[in-house]
Amino acid sequence: MDKKGYFGEFGGQFVPETLMSALEELERAYGKFSRDKKCRAELARHLHEFAGRPTPLYFAERLTKKAGGAKIYLKREDLTHTGAHKINNAVGQVLLARFMGKSRIIAETGAGQHGVATATVAAKFGLECVVYMGEVDMERQKPNVLRMKLLGAEVVPVSSGSKTLKDAINEALRDWITNINTTHYLLGSVLGPYPYPQMIRNFQKVIGEEARRDILKREKRPPDYLVACVGGGSNAIGLFYPFLKDKKVQMIGVEAGGLGIASGKHAARFAGGRVGILHGTKSFVLQDKFGQIKETHSVSAGLDYPSVGPEHSFLREIGRAEYVSVTDKQALEAFSLLCETEGIIPALESSHAVAYGYALAKRLPKNKIVVINLSGRGDKDLETVTRAQSL
Amino acid sequence: MTRLEQKFKETRAEGRIAFMPFLVAGDPDLETSVSIAKTIASPADLLEIGFPYSDPLADGPTIQAADIRALGAGMDTDHVFTYIKKVRESTDVPITVLVYANIVYQKGIERFYTEAKAAGVDGVLIPDVPVEEIEPFAQAAAKAGIDPIFLVAHTTTPERLKKILRYAKGYLYVVSVLGVTGARASLSADMPKLLKRIRRQTDLPLAVGFGISKREHIALLEKQGADGAIVGSALVKTITDNLSNKKRLLQNISAQVKQLTGAD
Repeated sequence: MDKKGYFGEFGGQFVPETLMSALEELERAYGKFSRDKKCRAELARHLHEFAGRPTPLYFAERLTKKAGGAKIYLKREDLTHTGAHKINNAVGQVLLARFMGKSRIIAETGAGQHGVATATVAAKFGLECVVYMGEVDMERQKPNVLRMKLLGAEVVPVSSGSKTLKDAINEALRDWITNINTTHYLLGSVLGPYPYPQMIRNFQKVIGEEARRDILKREKRPPDYLVACVGGGSNAIGLFYPFLKDKKVQMIGVEAGGLGIASGKHAARFAGGRVGILHGTKSFVLQDKFGQIKETHSVSAGLDYPSVGPEHSFLREIGRAEYVSVTDKQALEAFSLLCETEGIIPALESSHAVAYGYALAKRLPKNKIVVINLSGRGDKDLETVTRAQSL
Repeated sequence: MTRLEQKFKETRAEGRIAFMPFLVAGDPDLETSVSIAKTIASPADLLEIGFPYSDPLADGPTIQAADIRALGAGMDTDHVFTYIKKVRESTDVPITVLVYANIVYQKGIERFYTEAKAAGVDGVLIPDVPVEEIEPFAQAAAKAGIDPIFLVAHTTTPERLKKILRYAKGYLYVVSVLGVTGARASLSADMPKLLKRIRRQTDLPLAVGFGISKREHIALLEKQGADGAIVGSALVKTITDNLSNKKRLLQNISAQVKQLTGAD
């Protein structure tokens, strides 16, 4: 058996002593919460009535026809309330925070989807909410900054380091160390110290449970491929996890290739990183020879992060999942492709999965099935896309 | 007897609190930083040296800025060891280092401790490695003959402290506040209670850090029974304020240290 809090050699609890009692408290509370029938029923009710679950598994007919190969299904997380899978985890953790008696919620955000989801649930449950966001990300995801403010959250600009998601997590952790007695840190991805990666995966696995149930009903068999984008990796692990026991289902995580791996300007941890320790967990990290963390690049703020969830590192190591990358350019092309063929505007993060899933479907025979996780909608990206297209 | 044991035996015998200044290695550059360390090494009872890091999550803005300056001046792990060797040439005070986990991990845990020992390091504190993850680090430390230093916070329960004490040597670094590093106007009112609570479980020297910036803080901690006072951000701030004039920087640091130790 793995050491507590580990997936093989990945994971752990690499945080300052001040935080350890809070992690112990969180672990105990989450254990109680997840065993409590009433808590589970309440979570299911809010996911249904507030977040809008279940989301459809949509057969992308015109996209399939255009690819001329495997059948393409889209798991429509973009249709949830607030427009991305992030709400699943936010609802779960806000109930847990209330269960623990915390009055204040903090979060980090990259693309702003997790920040919006957190601000939303904080408003719904009447909790104080502070969201840390890198200045670069605030600039490129303006609509989400406005949404968070409308929802009553305080958005704190982070100007240290690369001014993106990594630095927002540093600031959120510093806030948590300072306000540990009143505050729950509502981390947004399957990152950070134990129990976060395990807990957040469990809040996200509803994606894969629904997709599995629906595809078995529709096709009478599991799909051949699952494709999802991987920043921290919460939408991907949410889709993958319930299929792990279906040995023939191949799982592909798509990282941000940025301007290309050779350029060095990317966020493909599995292509350019090695095992290291960042933000409380041991996983693949983009870093220099001495362990200083590298700045990353991606057109999508949500994938622009130098580490990856430890469970992904583990799935890759045991050969259960495969990780590839897609460039900014390919993601932008897939963005337009999905807009024009299916009438769906995908988030730039999800566009990475669409790009790879479409190319994959093209080279597969017609009797194969590919499920792509459409993790979020792209309204927030219109400015970035318009700018890129005019260049 | 190790340098650390010797030092605290001495300060306890003299009935005084140890003065433990903290500097980021190579801030603002290697040469100036060596001069600063040499300047303060004589009133200091112990030197704490920080490895600059890109993502120092236990540190406030003052030390973050120092890290960026040092990294900008080209300080990598090898340069920090060179720096410590240079400082060690001119002083025999104990030296402990503060270093984030990934820097140790990338050097190779055993190799890091071996090289640290060779450079003249006596203790290593890794702020993002709690006792749950310490095993490989503690083993390498024991093999190299280096003391593993641990943080103890207001949030550390007696059960956790018991686990920590199975590994801790040299001294305990008592975190005075809930928060990150940075100069503060006053000390936590709960300090005496925390020190007493820790004292019930161990005889290890207790060095208090985070937020200590004035002579009064140090005097108060001495009264409360602390064995050491760690001053970091307040000194780093003097470096930050005097970047344009190195001569003045050294004069001001020297004056500040005298003031802090009551030798002015």
